[in-house]
Amino acid sequence: MFEDVSKVFRLKGRKGRHETLKGALFSKSGRRKAVDFQALADINMAVEPGEVVAVLGPNGSGKSTLLKLAGGIFRPTSGRVRTEGRITALIELGAGFHPEITGWENVIINGMLLGLSRREVEQRMDDILEFAGIGDFIDRPVKTYSSGMYVRLGFAVAVAVDPDILLIDEVLAVGDEAFVARCLDRLARMRRRGVTMILVTHDLDMAAAFADRGIYLDHGHIIADGPTDQVVARYRGDVAGERAEGEKSRGSVRILEEGRRWGTGDVEILNVEIWADGRPVRLLPSGGAADVRVTYRVHRPVDDFVFGLAWHGADGTLVSGHNTDLDGLEGELLEGRGQVSCLYSSVPLAAGSYTLDVAIHAKDGLAYDYWCQASKLQVTAPVQWPGIWAPSHSWKGYPEKK
Amino acid sequence: MTHAVLLWRHRALVGVLVRRELAARYRASVLGFFWSLLNPLLLLVVYSFVFTTIFQPRFPGGQPYPLFLFAGLLPWMFFSGAVLDAAVTMVDNGPLLAKVMCPPEIFPAVTVLAHMVNHLLALPVLVAAMGVAALFGAHPFPWTIVFLPLALVPWVLTAAGVAAAVAAGAVHLRDLRDLVGHLLNLLFFSSPIIYSLDGLGLNPKLMTVLRLNPFASLVEVYRDLAFGGRIPEMQTALTALLVGLVVFFLGTWVFSRLRDTIVEAV
Repeated sequence: MFEDVSKVFRLKGRKGRHETLKGALFSKSGRRKAVDFQALADINMAVEPGEVVAVLGPNGSGKSTLLKLAGGIFRPTSGRVRTEGRITALIELGAGFHPEITGWENVIINGMLLGLSRREVEQRMDDILEFAGIGDFIDRPVKTYSSGMYVRLGFAVAVAVDPDILLIDEVLAVGDEAFVARCLDRLARMRRRGVTMILVTHDLDMAAAFADRGIYLDHGHIIADGPTDQVVARYRGDVAGERAEGEKSRGSVRILEEGRRWGTGDVEILNVEIWADGRPVRLLPSGGAADVRVTYRVHRPVDDFVFGLAWHGADGTLVSGHNTDLDGLEGELLEGRGQVSCLYSSVPLAAGSYTLDVAIHAKDGLAYDYWCQASKLQVTAPVQWPGIWAPSHSWKGYPEKK
Repeated sequence: MTHAVLLWRHRALVGVLVRRELAARYRASVLGFFWSLLNPLLLLVVYSFVFTTIFQPRFPGGQPYPLFLFAGLLPWMFFSGAVLDAAVTMVDNGPLLAKVMCPPEIFPAVTVLAHMVNHLLALPVLVAAMGVAALFGAHPFPWTIVFLPLALVPWVLTAAGVAAAVAAGAVHLRDLRDLVGHLLNLLFFSSPIIYSLDGLGLNPKLMTVLRLNPFASLVEVYRDLAFGGRIPEMQTALTALLVGLVVFFLGTWVFSRLRDTIVEAV
């Protein structure tokens, strides 16, 4: 829980953080010239227990600072950070392992640093060793370990602590694929147990697949906060936009409507409608046929374009996402005005309300027009099935005769 | 006060870290823990040779000089070693502070305690040396040595206070690391470690200055028990304790003022 949190780093003198005696003694006014760097500015956010949040953003946007504030490693310059429960920070795997002493002793120390008692660490030792899989090396000094063993042991200790809140900073970027897969599997299990997670990552696909919610930071401000795929799309768009800036052939990304709509404006979505039975609808019976009609106007002709749709449930979960690129369609030139339809022979959604994001963007993610919640749909059904998928189905029984 | 409470709450952690510190120091050396005994022993051998054959300093109540010196040097080595290590302990443990999150208070404390354990391991050498001297009739055995743990209390308090202040200060002011060495040197020669105040015969003004050095009381209390074989004067003992308490509180106060920015500066 963050309330108006700001973090300012004071960078002193020319050489940065190392203050020297000379500087302290021989400054004229007694006040050194300090350069303030605002790492985070007025961040307000609350993470619910059990939520998995991915923090995205370019380097230096304040992601790691956010994590360190959540973990209590840094204190906010102003505002308050409140947390409940045991927190483990996975900021660097195996951080603080002492090279001269054995893995076993290091595990005890790291476990205790993370808040366990010595006995608790010993009880979990089997589990830790099994996950780390380093065999007899556990009784050798850590300096003899390969970097893989080091990382595995570090991860094993951190997750063995059984935290209520887990903070992860890019740690899965190291290690081989098999290890990453095992880590993800372990994290998924922890997530099912209701562990709250905040993860900082540059792996957008992993973020989209793993997190419930995305937060996009830039220059210490929250740019976007919402369902992960939306936030990821927004971030991708901005990154592509920045790349395009040098080329001059494409416009830069503008915010059209705060938090909901952005893009270069080269192509504009005029209207989004959901049609059924030959007319635009707001209500649709579950399982009925429908099509989404997107009307557009082109301000600057583009030859690299993708039409995309994303359906979300009322709680923001992604129901389905599809686009013309993934479906193998290749555009030649988009100009003038027109309409694109996406046809569904059946919409097997459970009863409830759904929102639809519509986007026209370049293949690299640069958004021409990205419109979140461009349309809404209420799906009705005679039976209130739980879940979001309501496929047509039937039951049959084959009792065995005695 | 909160400083001491916090350390007590994390005593188990402090304990393992002290063990780590000691284990790491002797890991990969053939003689291992024996170095704790061997170091002071070799020191004693060198001093005995130098000060009985080359120099022959004379102080009233300071004979035999090698033992007199040894009883002054041992606690000093504990103190100066702890303070010097404290200057780098935060940087050395930076990864633990910045990446695992743990209270920074524990690191200077761990440094001091590790050096104290080392000091305790050197005590058998001191006792043995006194015993050998008594056997040859060179010096009566100082039975008061059994009270030595009491004399260590002000030493540990003082070391803990200075170590806390130096550890926190060195993070922000890296020059402090070099400066500390010189300040320790100054303290070493202005305290009656290699001499005793009684036998100096300097001009009275300088004597008054040397007598005012609060650190002298710690040295004297320790040496009275470990070498002189007498219970220290009450006034000196109380002064030593007071010095320990004041330095501890001042040091932890400095630490608390700098605490919040330690992690960022590391």
